[in-house]
Amino acid sequence: MRGGGGTYMNFSEDTIIDVKGLVKNYGSFKAVKGVHFQVHNGEIFGLLGPNGAGKTTTLEMLVGLRKPDEGTAIIGTHDILRELTKVKEIIGVQLQSTSLFDLLTVEEILQMYASFYPSHIPISPLIDDMLLTEKRKSRIKGLSGGQKQRLAIALALVHDPHVVFLDEPTTGLDPQARRTLWDIVLQLKNKGKTIVLTTHYMDEAHILCDRIAIMDQGELIALDTPTQLVKSLQSDSALEFRVLQEEEFIDFSSIEGVKKVGKQSDVHLLYSDQLQKTLTSLIHFATEKNLQLVDIQTRTATLEDVFIHMTGRSLREA
Amino acid sequence: MKAYWQLTLAQLRIFLRNRQVLMWTLIFPILLMSMLGLFLGKGNGISLTIGVIDHDHTSFSNEFVNAISNNEAIHLVLQKDEKKAQTSLKNGDFQLVVTIPKGYESSLKNSGSKPLPFTIPVYYNDTNFAVSQVGLALVNGVIDEVSKQRVSYAPVVEMESHGIKALHLKYIDFLVPGIVAMMIMSNNMNGVAGQIAAWRERGILRRMQGTTLKASTFIAAQITARLLMNGLQALIVLLVAHLLFGVEIRGSWFTLISFIILGTLAFMAIGFIIAGIAKTPESAAPIAGVLSFPMLFLGGVFFPIRNMPEFLQPIVKLLPISHLSTALREIMNVGAAWSSLGLEAAILGGWVVAAFVIASYTFKWE
Repeated sequence: MRGGGGTYMNFSEDTIIDVKGLVKNYGSFKAVKGVHFQVHNGEIFGLLGPNGAGKTTTLEMLVGLRKPDEGTAIIGTHDILRELTKVKEIIGVQLQSTSLFDLLTVEEILQMYASFYPSHIPISPLIDDMLLTEKRKSRIKGLSGGQKQRLAIALALVHDPHVVFLDEPTTGLDPQARRTLWDIVLQLKNKGKTIVLTTHYMDEAHILCDRIAIMDQGELIALDTPTQLVKSLQSDSALEFRVLQEEEFIDFSSIEGVKKVGKQSDVHLLYSDQLQKTLTSLIHFATEKNLQLVDIQTRTATLEDVFIHMTGRSLREA
Repeated sequence: MKAYWQLTLAQLRIFLRNRQVLMWTLIFPILLMSMLGLFLGKGNGISLTIGVIDHDHTSFSNEFVNAISNNEAIHLVLQKDEKKAQTSLKNGDFQLVVTIPKGYESSLKNSGSKPLPFTIPVYYNDTNFAVSQVGLALVNGVIDEVSKQRVSYAPVVEMESHGIKALHLKYIDFLVPGIVAMMIMSNNMNGVAGQIAAWRERGILRRMQGTTLKASTFIAAQITARLLMNGLQALIVLLVAHLLFGVEIRGSWFTLISFIILGTLAFMAIGFIIAGIAKTPESAAPIAGVLSFPMLFLGGVFFPIRNMPEFLQPIVKLLPISHLSTALREIMNVGAAWSSLGLEAAILGGWVVAAFVIASYTFKWE
């Protein structure tokens, strides 16, 4: 496949997407409450958040599928409200659970989508790149989940767009298929594409994204590189455990080195930047109070912890 | 332009690969045609089975029997046993039973100048009154003829009857254009409504909206593909009707195809409106049903419009299906040309324009 250069060299300046206060309401429900952010040229930008945080709505406003109630965005040099057709020429879109004409073959549907644009790239190498070579003559009906998702990405790339939007590209895929897809996304970045993706998987965001915007309840609550986000916790370790026969509330915040405490159902969470001290102190504390600790685990703090830290809820229960 | 061809091609591929739909949309009208044409058609024609019992066995009685059997509409069965004949009459195998009593010939020969009429008993089944009446009239005609011959009757006044459209139309000739009209209606109206609503529900249209494709290109391709497919289906049904049932196509193929196209466009446009209104594919089918069902009965598909109650006629006369079935019928049965079908063409054309204007406002990608 060709590089992302050529005709799009004029996008070499740093910012390629400038989101200016997008708002979307569904009746009285405020889905997106005025978000601002910039996406840099050539990066993988992640919108992370639980279901219903407004990630998909934000993305769909950017690609012209929903009309914002307020605000706008500039993609490349085009305003998404006034020059949508121009915008559509330089963006590629993969929607959540794309459904296509089941009775067409992989090759046929790619040719059809290619015809919707003023120009397109050769179909054959694109099929090879998306690891669909053996399936080129197969009907879409018979593809696996991962193959369908790769086809959806191929459709997003058929006109050689500069920016690619991927909405939850790996949701519902098995671990093997997810890894395959990650490789494809990273390859796209190597080819010079800018990628905006939404996900509610921590590990995915951490591995793929150069920068992450964390969204919750329609608002953007943090934006930074994954490393910086975790650093902002000011505690690099997390300690998890359960207490057998816990009857009343126990306050663990007095334990040495603990920066923050949390609790998810019956699992206690302590954040600390001095893991050894905290662990020793916890054991003492438990012995004194006659508590029986089980399932003790220590780990490096993750983006999940950043989210819990900021919202008090985990990504899954939010 | 490339997008238009690709979308048309895609739609044609989908049609051809959806074998079941393709098969059943063809089988249904042909089946309907066979059932209505062969079974119902019998009752509607004037074919009578008459049992004749000849007790006289003379050359005169033979002549009488021949006179009856010479009538094309009558199928004559000679019977010996009167009881058997009566049973057959009750069972409906015979519509009439005619008995020629002994002494028929001698009575006629000895009639002299002032003859006493000889009585020939004719039995009919009064549960099948209408057919019996026709049969009685026919037999009466034969008897009348015989009587007139015997008395050397010379008529003073004669009737000369002229059929206005002396085309010997059978019910099937009336039926086939109606069925083709029905097929055009259901394939296009229900087909478009169901498919577009389903594509919207599944997000197929939404994904296309994410590209630079224009709605007008998409709709144009839909229309082209459907015109080709549904036009072809209509022609296949016509061909089957022509070859298997001997239905004549008296008008020009050009006129016939023009009206098939006009009808297809009108119902497709209505289908697009329904697809726009329907929120889910599940609601598209009943909406299309509500519109198509009354049209089937009121639109002159199965019964002539003039048989309908007075108060319904003005409504019926605005329905697109009425004009499509009338036009097809005129072309096929009578051989009407374009010039005599101006009203039908104008009303169908009006539907096409109006419906497409409304459809363009109600069309939604999602």
